[in-house]
Amino acid sequence: MSTPRPLPVPDEVSRPYWAAAARHTLVVARCSRCASFVLPPGQTCPHCHSVDPRFRFEPVSGTGTVRSWTVVRQAFLPGFGAEVPFVLVDVELTEQSELRMIGRLLDGPAAALRLGDRVTVAFEDVAPGVSIPAFTLGAPV
Amino acid sequence: MSGRLGASNQVALVGYAHSVVQRHAAAPLGVVTLDTARRAIADAGLRTDQIDGFVTAPLFPTAGAHAVEDGVSTVSATWLADNLGVRPRYAAGFQGIGQMPGAVAMAVNAIAAGAADYVVLHRAMHNPPGRYHGNPMASAGGSLQWTAPQGYFGPLSMIALPYNEYIQRYGASREAMAAVLVEARKNGARLPWSYWHGRPLSAEEYLAEPMISDPICRYDCDIPVDGVATFVLTSARRAADLPHRPVYVSGYATSAPATRRLPLHWPLDDIMSVGQETTRRLWESAGVGPTEVDLPQLYDGFSPFVYFWLETLGLCPPGEAHRFVLDGGIDSDSPKGLPVLSGGGALGNGRMHGVPQMLECYLQLAGRAGDRQRTATIGVACQSSPHFGGAVVYSAEQF
Repeated sequence: MSTPRPLPVPDEVSRPYWAAAARHTLVVARCSRCASFVLPPGQTCPHCHSVDPRFRFEPVSGTGTVRSWTVVRQAFLPGFGAEVPFVLVDVELTEQSELRMIGRLLDGPAAALRLGDRVTVAFEDVAPGVSIPAFTLGAPV
Repeated sequence: MSGRLGASNQVALVGYAHSVVQRHAAAPLGVVTLDTARRAIADAGLRTDQIDGFVTAPLFPTAGAHAVEDGVSTVSATWLADNLGVRPRYAAGFQGIGQMPGAVAMAVNAIAAGAADYVVLHRAMHNPPGRYHGNPMASAGGSLQWTAPQGYFGPLSMIALPYNEYIQRYGASREAMAAVLVEARKNGARLPWSYWHGRPLSAEEYLAEPMISDPICRYDCDIPVDGVATFVLTSARRAADLPHRPVYVSGYATSAPATRRLPLHWPLDDIMSVGQETTRRLWESAGVGPTEVDLPQLYDGFSPFVYFWLETLGLCPPGEAHRFVLDGGIDSDSPKGLPVLSGGGALGNGRMHGVPQMLECYLQLAGRAGDRQRTATIGVACQSSPHFGGAVVYSAEQF
C-alpha cells in the first residue's frame, strides 16, 4: 500500500463541507447576514464584515471556469509521489464572481487547457468516508 | 491627511556587514549572525555598548516541518542582543509579511520616537538539512484542509498559478523570463559573497531546465542558503558624525490586506490591484514617484515577481513587463536599462529574503559599491509580492 495522502481534519465550521463531500456533493459556506458565498469560511464574513456570520453550507452547481492551472511534477506532500504529474486548476465557481477554489483536474496532464474553460466538480474517494473535491473538463454529465 | 512619512529622511543606514552566502554554513546561524553584527557595528564606527536597539524579522520561510530554533534556524532580536552581551532599550521582531521593509519600518519608528539611538537590524536565513519545502503531514487541519488534501501545497504551485495566468493573459514567453534569470545571475556572479559567484546562467541553460510546477522550473526559484546580513541605523543627525555617507530612509509601505483566499492562493488580479495600493502608499510615504527612482531593486525570490513589481511600481504598463525585459529594459549594463537586479537579487545571491535589494540600495547610495558603483540617488528595495510584501525607498540625499 502506498503512503496515504493527507486527510482533511473537519472542524466545527467545516464538518458539513466534508460530510457533503463524502456524499459527492459540493457545498460552499454562505454568510447568514449578507448571503455571500465565502471560501474558506473564517471567523468573520469578508464581504459584510459580520463577526457573527453563522455560515451555512449550501449546495452549489459544481460548475465553474478555469482561471489558471499548473502541472505539478514534484510532490511536496506524502501520497502524491505516485500521482505526479498532475494538474491543479484554479476555478471560479459559477455562483459568485471571484469565488475561487483549487483542485485537481482529473483529465490528466495531457489535457489541453485554456483560460475560461468550463469545468465540473468531481470527487476523489481517498479513504473510507473521505472524498476530496476535484474537477473534470466540461459540463455536468 | 498626508501620507508622507513623518520621519522621512530623518533616519539613515550607516553601516553594514554581510556573511558569505552558502548552501550550509560551517558555523551555526547564531554564530554567523554574531560575527556580522560585530562587523556591522564596527563598520558604522560604533562600539557594541552604544547599540541600544535590535530589530529583525525572524521568519523561517519554509513550508516543511523543520524545527524553528532560536540561534539555529532563526535568530531573534533578543537572541542577538543577549549573545552580544547588550541590554537594549528596544528589541523587537517584525512578524508580518514583507520582512525587510517591516523590520526597517520598526527600526525607523523606534529611532524617530527616541526609543533607541543606534539600531542593529539583521536578517538571518537558514537552509535546513533535507528538503526545504517537503512536508510529511498525514492530516490537514485548519486552513490547510482547504488545499493540502487537494494536492495544492507549497510556494512553487503558489507562484505557478498567477504566473501561468499572466502568461495566458498576455502571451508572455519563456524567452522573456530567461532574460530575467540571465540578468540576475550575471549580476550575482560578480558578487564575491554570492552563492552564485562566478556562475552566470545562460538563456539556453534556463530554457533547457525541466519544469517542477509548470511554468516554474528550478531556476525560477531562489536557492535556499545559510546567510546573514546586518545593518546599523541611526538618526540623520547622529549619522553626520559617523564615517560612512548616510543613506536615508525616505518612506516605506507594507501591503494592504488582500482579499480572503485559500492558503497560498494568489490570483493575478489580487497581486496587481492590492499591489498598486501598496506602491501608491509607498510613493506617498516617500514623497517621490517612479520617475524619480534610479535604483529600483525588485524582489525576485520567484522570478515572476520581477514582472509584478515592474508593473505595480509603474516602471512599465500592466501586461508589458515580459516585453520590457525581452527588449533589454532591465539590462543594468546598458545605459537604457533599469538596474532592477543590479544587486543580483535573490536569484543571483540565494534565498536572502529582501537582503540583496536593501544591500544594493545601501552600497550604491552610500558610494560603497566599488567597481560596481553606479550613479544613483533614489532606490527602492522591494520584498515578496506587491500584494503580500512591502518596499522601502532609500535616498542618498535628504529632501
